[in-house]
Amino acid sequence: MIPGDFQLPKRNKKNLIYLVILSIVGLIGATVAITLLSFVLSAWFGLPLDVFGLNEGPDQPIKFPHKTHVEELGLDCTFCHRTVTSEASASVPSVTLCMTCHKSVGDDLEEIEKLRSIYASKGTIDWIRVHRVPDHAHFIHEAHVKHFSEKNNVEPAQTCSICHGNVAEMEKVRQARELKMGDCVDCHKKNDGPTDCTTCHY
Amino acid sequence: MAETKWGMVVDLDKCTGCQSCVVACQSENNIPINTEDIFNQRRAIEWIRIERYWEGEFPNVKARYVPVLCQHCDEAPCEPVCPVLATYHNDQGLNVQVYNRCIGTRFCANNCPYTVRFFNFWEPEWPDSLKNQLNPDVTVRSRGIMEKCTFCIQRIRRVSKNSKSGEKTNERDLNPACTNACATDALVFGNLNDPESKVSKARSKGEKRSYKMLEELGTEPNVIYLKKVEKGNKQENHVH
Ligand code: HEC
Ligand code: HEC
Ligand code: HEC
Ligand code: HEC
Ligand code: HEC
Repeated sequence: MIPGDFQLPKRNKKNLIYLVILSIVGLIGATVAITLLSFVLSAWFGLPLDVFGLNEGPDQPIKFPHKTHVEELGLDCTFCHRTVTSEASASVPSVTLCMTCHKSVGDDLEEIEKLRSIYASKGTIDWIRVHRVPDHAHFIHEAHVKHFSEKNNVEPAQTCSICHGNVAEMEKVRQARELKMGDCVDCHKKNDGPTDCTTCHY
Repeated sequence: MAETKWGMVVDLDKCTGCQSCVVACQSENNIPINTEDIFNQRRAIEWIRIERYWEGEFPNVKARYVPVLCQHCDEAPCEPVCPVLATYHNDQGLNVQVYNRCIGTRFCANNCPYTVRFFNFWEPEWPDSLKNQLNPDVTVRSRGIMEKCTFCIQRIRRVSKNSKSGEKTNERDLNPACTNACATDALVFGNLNDPESKVSKARSKGEKRSYKMLEELGTEPNVIYLKKVEKGNKQENHVH
């Protein structure tokens, strides 16, 4: 044998075990890295990435379909979200409002029976909030809905999509716009809105 | 001149020291309950307080009451010392505090000659029975944050909102909680730049009695005090 000649190292059982361990650790590491990256990217874009259903809205206690009510029945957003044109909050309708129709509509449907039993027990529905600005920031629907419906000369209900996307198409409501401070202030600058800190923080 | 400059007139002749402004402020602005213990530590939070002074010897004593709140100074000593600009003057003449911007250096409180800035040494707590009465329009301040009188900015915001939608809550009817609660109208609030506002009228009516607290420091307060009317007080020439 010539000295310096290339030789395959002898296969060693110990090395093989190291290799297996190393690749398992590598795999776990990569998974963790990708997961972390998706969190970082979500935070960067302000919304969950549209992969693996991460962007889906939360499951509500009653599967309320906006699609059926808005698209098929043609109900106006302000019919249910009554205070949206006059108050800071948009409000979510009471069970009584649902029952004006569902006393007679939707017999034998599972979700409607749930609704009726809640009504019978004088309970409330614990809807899970989808949009929520933190406590230290105050958002006022009235000002925005009024401003944009006057500016674009449309019905108040046509302004919702600016921030909420097309809710009428959604089976489950999800957040469609970032609505972080940068987003709010960018739009205010574009539309001559107020930018003083205490407009929103007090 | 800016359109709006909020200010207050405090007529010491009318103040009875009843403390209802203090209670009203406490509940409007989600201020935690001050216990005796907290008072003794000098860490009580009172955005408005009534200072009481005795004058003379018994039986000829006189009690004097002075409500003290943030003076919303034009040259506020608290503002330049904030390293993060969490406190500043807004376009309506208010000295404001942006809670979420605050990092709790307490420089501002240290620099305030009126001691009307308060630090949250603890997470605020309420008994269970009071949890549902917190005002949703006011942020609950967490531990480590400075807070102070805002002239009830949440009410100011509400008025500017309503007057846009034509509902017309008149700006001149606007009152912070303390002023609303005052039984003798000793506190008068309003826009100092509007000659027709309650506060401007009260101010010009009491011109001869008016002074500002610690005026000599040059802080230019926007709270104007009117001296008590007394026998022998020659300056006073109109009857109440
Ligand atoms: C029949 C009544 C009804 C109508 C009409 C209706 N909604 Fe709703 N909306 C609800 C109920 C109930 C909820 C709470 C359940 C949920 O989040 O799915 C809700 C929730 C929402 C939410 C999410 C609230 C949150 O938690 O952040 C948005 C946004 C919304 N609606 C927008 C609209 C818009 C825009 C329209 C018009 C296109 C509309 N809604 C029409 C009843 C209605
Ligand atoms: C204007 C009348 C009306 C109002 C108000 C109304 N709904 Fe409906 N809803 C309907 C009709 C019509 C249907 C379709 C029923 C069907 O498919 O047979 C429906 C369908 C539904 C369904 C789907 C049932 C299924 O399994 O397909 C749910 C859930 C529901 N409504 C919940 C609610 C809730 C919750 C409210 C109150 C926020 C409400 N509805 C208010 C008319 C109304
Ligand atoms: C300028 C953006 C914007 C527009 C336009 C807008 N919303 Fe919202 N909406 C928000 C934000 C931000 C929140 C979260 C508010 C909070 O947490 O206090 C929200 C929350 C809601 C909620 C949850 C309940 C509540 O009151 O907080 C409902 C329901 C809702 N919006 C319905 C509507 C409807 C219906 C319209 C159209 C008439 C509309 N929104 C127009 C930004 C907007
Ligand atoms: C699509 C553009 C847009 C977005 C997004 C938006 N705003 Fe506004 N906002 C406006 C405009 C325009 C005005 C001025 C309305 C007026 O003066 O009538 C305004 C006014 C306001 C006011 C003052 C209301 C009053 O009473 O005068 C507040 C508070 C406010 N916005 C908070 C927010 C917050 C918080 C967010 C983010 C969660 C936000 N806005 C996102 C356009 C926007
Ligand atoms: C148009 C409304 C608006 C204005 C004007 C505004 N902010 Fe904000 N700000 C928000 C909203 C909404 C959030 C919450 C964002 C989120 O969801 O994390 C926020 C968050 C913040 C935070 C982060 C708090 C935290 O815990 O992450 C700070 C700090 C802050 N704002 C400071 C300021 C300062 C200082 C100014 C004035 C120069 C200002 N903001 C003006 C709407 C506003």
